[in-house]
Amino acid sequence: MGPLYKFGWFDFSYSLQIAGLIGFCFGFVLERAGFGNARKLTAIFYLRDFAVLKVMFTAIVVCMMGLLYFSVFGWIDLSRVYILPTYIWPQIVGGLVLGIGFVMGGYCPTTSVVATVSGKLDGLVFTGGMILGAFIFAELFPLLKGFYETGSMGPVRLSDVFKIHSGLVALLVCLMAVGAYWVVEKVEQRFGDRETLPGGSSRIKRTAAAVLILMGLILAIVNPDQMAAQRATAGPVGPVKKSEPMETKAPKAEKPASSGFQIVEDEGC
Amino acid sequence: MTERYANPYLIGVLLGFILLFSFYTMGRGVGSSGTFARIAAAGVDLAVPDHAKEMPYFSRYLSTDRSPLMAWLVFLTLGAGLGGLFSAFISHRIIGEVVRGPSIGVAARLWLSLAGGILSGFAARMANGCTSGQALTGASEMAFGSWVFMFSIFAGAYATAYFFRKEWL
Repeated sequence: MGPLYKFGWFDFSYSLQIAGLIGFCFGFVLERAGFGNARKLTAIFYLRDFAVLKVMFTAIVVCMMGLLYFSVFGWIDLSRVYILPTYIWPQIVGGLVLGIGFVMGGYCPTTSVVATVSGKLDGLVFTGGMILGAFIFAELFPLLKGFYETGSMGPVRLSDVFKIHSGLVALLVCLMAVGAYWVVEKVEQRFGDRETLPGGSSRIKRTAAAVLILMGLILAIVNPDQMAAQRATAGPVGPVKKSEPMETKAPKAEKPASSGFQIVEDEGC
Repeated sequence: MTERYANPYLIGVLLGFILLFSFYTMGRGVGSSGTFARIAAAGVDLAVPDHAKEMPYFSRYLSTDRSPLMAWLVFLTLGAGLGGLFSAFISHRIIGEVVRGPSIGVAARLWLSLAGGILSGFAARMANGCTSGQALTGASEMAFGSWVFMFSIFAGAYATAYFFRKEWL
């Protein structure tokens, strides 16, 4: 049962290798999408190319549904996944400023790395700017500390705020994503350059949208929160079966974990 | 000749599975802006170690006996650099250039890039994450603040895009 690391399958040094692997795939797909190019990235803000929104929303929807389905199948314990805590005011202000930095500099943090390695000097300068920005923040931190901690709501999820179960949230997110795709494709057809936009048949797109909504609908009916709660109260019957191979592995991995590394800090980004 | 970019929906699906893999193995998503804060912390620690210890924000990175660069996110960002390099290499997209619109000079573009980088680095610390660490990761685990953050990014960028149109169009 996942998350494997939280169950002691491997230690810190091995987790760094996994980080390298995940990072490699991450950087690879970003470059494939053309996100190492500031003009491709910022075209979204001039209504010409919505690749940024399409990639982000699709990745979010796929990962969100994957997590919920994994939870329903008992493959992952969502209570052990680190949920980013909400600090509503710093997040709003930080988001606005990051957006300004995005359209001004042409990149966001990860894409600037991809730009730098593909030879873009502006990407390198942006990366240097980010290090400087983090330094300035740290120097001013005593002044900003009060604001930095305002609006703390803890690790709340959309389902907690809107008081609906997470399957229903998933369905709403799917509907929102499909609606957004439809709108931005219309806008792209109007303002975009057809030469550079990737095509794709509308039949495939419609089928994919239908599958997406259907999978969200299943989650809305199944109610993953209730399933997870039932599993937790039903005792270790389900998980133990699954964790049999883990038990043979766990003692080996536990030793370096207890002596050397403890998961004390989980940071967002 | 450079290749055409991949279909964004396909990339989105792949990225979703990469994120899911990260959650399944590590119990956390991806991120990268923390790396730059750690580099800044390591730099200050190298230049003026006494001052670095006094800085309340950086001391969190320096409190352990490990180097601030021995961190999960730093390795992830290193991997992202290698992955991007590999992809750009196989598509012949490694070109030394300054990406800019036709109506802006190189120097102006680089200054704006620096300013944008400083704003982004600052804002990412303020919000505890960036487009990947907060928006992608947080939104997929349905964290409330991350959704607000993501829409704030778009709001901030669309609100000011008009003033930077000469840089890109």
